[in-house]
Amino acid sequence: MSRYEKLLNMLMDFDTSIEFAAISNTTGEILWNSSRSNLESKVPLSETKIILKRESGDWVDRCKSEDRLGLGRSLYHITSFEKIKQVTIPVDAFHLLYIVVNNEPMTKSKTKSYGRLVEMGKIMSIVDFVNTFE
Amino acid sequence: MEKYEKLLNMLMDFNDSIRFAAVCNPNGDIVWSSQREGMKNIVPLDETKQTMMRAIEAWTQSIHLKSHVGSGLYSVTSYEKIKRITVPLDDGNILFISVNNSPMKNSKTKSYGQIADMGKILSIVDFVKS
Repeated sequence: MSRYEKLLNMLMDFDTSIEFAAISNTTGEILWNSSRSNLESKVPLSETKIILKRESGDWVDRCKSEDRLGLGRSLYHITSFEKIKQVTIPVDAFHLLYIVVNNEPMTKSKTKSYGRLVEMGKIMSIVDFVNTFE
Repeated sequence: MEKYEKLLNMLMDFNDSIRFAAVCNPNGDIVWSSQREGMKNIVPLDETKQTMMRAIEAWTQSIHLKSHVGSGLYSVTSYEKIKRITVPLDDGNILFISVNNSPMKNSKTKSYGQIADMGKILSIVDFVKS
């Protein structure tokens, strides 16, 4: 099993609200992916491919600017919609992790809910773990 | 007071870790901005303007996803030192916020920065809109 497949499996096991996870290359082409069984994808695959193309281009720009602007390492990008959150993380110089997380508002919230918290610390530690030990 | 000026004031009052906040129009022109006193910009304003333009393009392109995933709420780009947040407002305007993201010192595990409290930020945006 490649470390990228292992990463996808660990993420899907870690959080059941992750609906879809994929690894793409720097041009946005999907190399590995994992979808939660019995769950229909909210974003059609054709749209996912377009999103990944744009995101991979944006990440190339972000990685160029992190040194130029002294912002430190670029960690992750989240785009939040009412029903889902899209998360992208550069895994290494050639691969991008893309995750779709359920973001349906919490029904028991006392104030208006804008969705759910994504545990980025945990997700980043899984990415770091797989990168370190493989 | 114009509503976007009020929005920026409320945001700066709400959270000390917000370094810079701005509203730009659909052309990418900054119409209001607020910088925390005594704090220098890490990112030059020209670069921030480019980021805002890219955010406007990205939010415009994502409009056709609305039927699948609902309306766009916000985006966060996290770097080790700062988080850069955009929120789509009315009429194609965009709110941009730069937030301090220094790792938490008392964290037992590795810290990847600080939570931006997006629920509070969005509730302030909704309050000013309404």
